[in-house]
Amino acid sequence: MKNIAFFFLLFPLFVFSQDDLLDELNEEIIEDKKVISVFKSLKVVNFETTKLVNKKDFYLVISHRFGSVKNGIDDLFGLDQAVTQFKFIYGINEWLNLGLARSSYKKKYGLHAKFRLKYQEKNNFPLSIVGYSLITANTALKDNVYPNINFENRLSYTTQLLISRKINDNLSLLLAPSFVHENLATRSFAEENGSTVFYDEENNQIALGFGGRYKLSKRISLNIDYGLHLNRNENSVYNNPLSIGADIETGGHVFQLHFTNAQAMFEEGFITQAQGDWLNGDFFFGFNLVRVF
Amino acid sequence: MGVRRSFRKLKTMKKNIFFLLLFFFTISFNFAQERFATKSGIINFEASVPSFEEVKATHNSVSAILKSNGDFASLALVRGFRFKVALMEEHFNESYVESSKYPKATFSGKIKDFNSSELSGVQKDYILLGTVSMHGKEKKIETTVNLKEIDNIIYLTTSFTLRPEDFNIEIPSIVSNKIAEEINISTYFELRTNF
Repeated sequence: MKNIAFFFLLFPLFVFSQDDLLDELNEEIIEDKKVISVFKSLKVVNFETTKLVNKKDFYLVISHRFGSVKNGIDDLFGLDQAVTQFKFIYGINEWLNLGLARSSYKKKYGLHAKFRLKYQEKNNFPLSIVGYSLITANTALKDNVYPNINFENRLSYTTQLLISRKINDNLSLLLAPSFVHENLATRSFAEENGSTVFYDEENNQIALGFGGRYKLSKRISLNIDYGLHLNRNENSVYNNPLSIGADIETGGHVFQLHFTNAQAMFEEGFITQAQGDWLNGDFFFGFNLVRVF
Repeated sequence: MGVRRSFRKLKTMKKNIFFLLLFFFTISFNFAQERFATKSGIINFEASVPSFEEVKATHNSVSAILKSNGDFASLALVRGFRFKVALMEEHFNESYVESSKYPKATFSGKIKDFNSSELSGVQKDYILLGTVSMHGKEKKIETTVNLKEIDNIIYLTTSFTLRPEDFNIEIPSIVSNKIAEEINISTYFELRTNF
């Protein structure tokens, strides 16, 4: 009995002994709960992700969408006909990005703002929420073809809410409710009884974007996105955009290779005017290459 | 009888007092150990290879405690390492150290033949032995630490090298020539009694 009592009295010696220094340090830490790397690229394939360029970082994104693969070797699966987009993006601060881009598809210029509203947090807020706003000017519309065209007619606006969740270390999902306003609505032409008729879309169009990334290995992920247009004209010649690709990380940058049925790269372009049709083997090879400065 | 009983009572009381004193002594013995600590220690790591892009990061909120018997422990949240290129930082967290799974890097060990009363404004070298733990793996290290004390602040600096493979951190072949095999770690702590 006495011995046990003696032992207990010495207890403080053991309790406060050396290795518990780490426990003490452990008690004081404040962990950063923000969930990072929900997506590693700014885009899933076509749709924007909830990733922003960091403060003061400067990105150059070069994207290509080649011609349709359906012509086979004749134009090397479309490689002869590339549509190119250059985009510069700058991180103004932690939550705001501004970007300027030019796409050879309809010679469009675009200006966008992307802003973070909410971070996904561990054991706390479940979603990342980012806003995206884009204005584009179509400079391919020629004055001699459209003599009455005003500058406003060239403009289109896209507003999106990008909502993502990192389900686990490998899987991240994205939902992107999108609103597109075209001052000059997308027009579909059709042949009817030997004459050409046309159908215009509404100026205001809405769509739901879906996207996901699944990591196949530490540095390669499978990416898919799809845009469900909710009020497309039933005679429209355009389809919903569906894209599948891979992100390949090579140290300093991320390489995105993909197949998509939309050649346009601006949001309002691929949401309203995806011209390819997967079911007819009519889709395009493309890539996005990101360089950080 | 009454006298004898009270004598016995006194004897047990004495014993209790003895134990009580022993108890307080052991406590005070522990608290007598002076402690120096910080929450803003610095760790730099450098894994650059000449003529390739710099692979370098700094952490400036590392916590550490040093006891006057030489026990030393330090803890850094891996997410706190800051790189010049944010994308590199993201790769580091997601693919290399996997900070969501292994958020902490720790060190726990002892400075050999340490005696805090010996310290002065002149730098003195000691041997530090201990275990670095990160990415779910542990590695024993031995290195030299530089110590000096000015105005009750102990300045502790040390540097050593670590190999990613010892911590099961895989460097993909595509970048293996751009990341050094041995990573130089240097640390700087200003340890204070009132922290």
